[in-house]
Amino acid sequence: MTVLIVTNEEDVTADMVVVHLNASGVPVVRLDPADLTGGVALSGEFVHGAFRGHLSSAGRLVSINGLRSIWTRRPGAAAARAAAPSAWLTEEAGQALYGMLRGTDVRWMNHPDAAGRARYKPWQLRLAQRCGLPVPATLITTFPQAAREFAARFPDLVVKPVSGAHPQDPPRAVPTSRVAPDADFSAVAFGPTLLQRRVVKRADIRLTVVGERLLAAAKVADAEAEVDVRFAASDAPWRPVEVAPRVAEAVRAYMREAELAYGAFDFVEDADGTWWFLECNQSGQFGFIEVDTGQPISLSIAEWLARPATGEQPHANGASAKVP
Amino acid sequence: MQPFALNYARPAAELEVTAAYVYDSGLQLNVLRDGRIAARDHALLRELGTTTSTAGSKTHFDD
Repeated sequence: MTVLIVTNEEDVTADMVVVHLNASGVPVVRLDPADLTGGVALSGEFVHGAFRGHLSSAGRLVSINGLRSIWTRRPGAAAARAAAPSAWLTEEAGQALYGMLRGTDVRWMNHPDAAGRARYKPWQLRLAQRCGLPVPATLITTFPQAAREFAARFPDLVVKPVSGAHPQDPPRAVPTSRVAPDADFSAVAFGPTLLQRRVVKRADIRLTVVGERLLAAAKVADAEAEVDVRFAASDAPWRPVEVAPRVAEAVRAYMREAELAYGAFDFVEDADGTWWFLECNQSGQFGFIEVDTGQPISLSIAEWLARPATGEQPHANGASAKVP
Repeated sequence: MQPFALNYARPAAELEVTAAYVYDSGLQLNVLRDGRIAARDHALLRELGTTTSTAGSKTHFDD
């Protein structure tokens, strides 16, 4: 039984998992949907009430019925590197590939339906609240007056993209940023704006969840430094930290509700030691944490992917992304 | 007419890692010029920042 890894070739973080799978002798096929219909090919037939399908990638052929798990990491757009790429071909190739894979009963990390839903930050915030995780006061609005009133109630605010996406024409990043006290909120009318009470932090927390395993790391922060840890010019390393039982219980509830097998939670820790939920990236990076802390994240992922495919109960959405 | 959040945008940083390692389709891994597996060289990964959570990805929202 083979582990299918769906990601791009440059994804060296996925390599960290492939190394462990190779060491344990578990067959792996890695493909990037962008290489359909060049280095990647597919075929599936629905005949006499049964399905038989095959994928090939760089000369490796695997039966779709012979998959034990699927890890969707950083796939390119289907057929993006085809000889004659087009939006139509991308849709066709994506429907063919993911449609066949969705028809299997294998375990996903993470199932596309769960992954797609989990990307919605407003949904994340509400789920976190329901699971008992502290969430900073947040407003998402296109009403300038609502933004002004929110700023009056919470004078120390940050702004961040609702989607997490970044503009590409030209390429720009939109980091989480502090809002000036005298900010003019008129432009809120031109796009949904996410404003959030700034938590004065003493550390950033990255909690990586693989199945039932929780691996948390902290990075000491200067309360007045860059709000967005991704842009902070800090040499402080990530260090392993314990997860409080109450947080662990809430995070596991989040994972169950979200039907995720993998999640990278971002928290900020305040002066009282409270972890405030910011977001959960369903395919968040983990290599930089493992490199600093030595935590066995890639090994945990490899072990989860390598488990036998038997005994899984399908989810309501058709997935088998059950957290074992 | 620019949305409020874009007042805080900055140029995206591009990672220059193409010369450090190359994908070997036989191994299904990226290898360094000397043939070593890139994922095993944690010092290099730290230096390159290619496993890091970064903003500005063209194709992926998740960091």
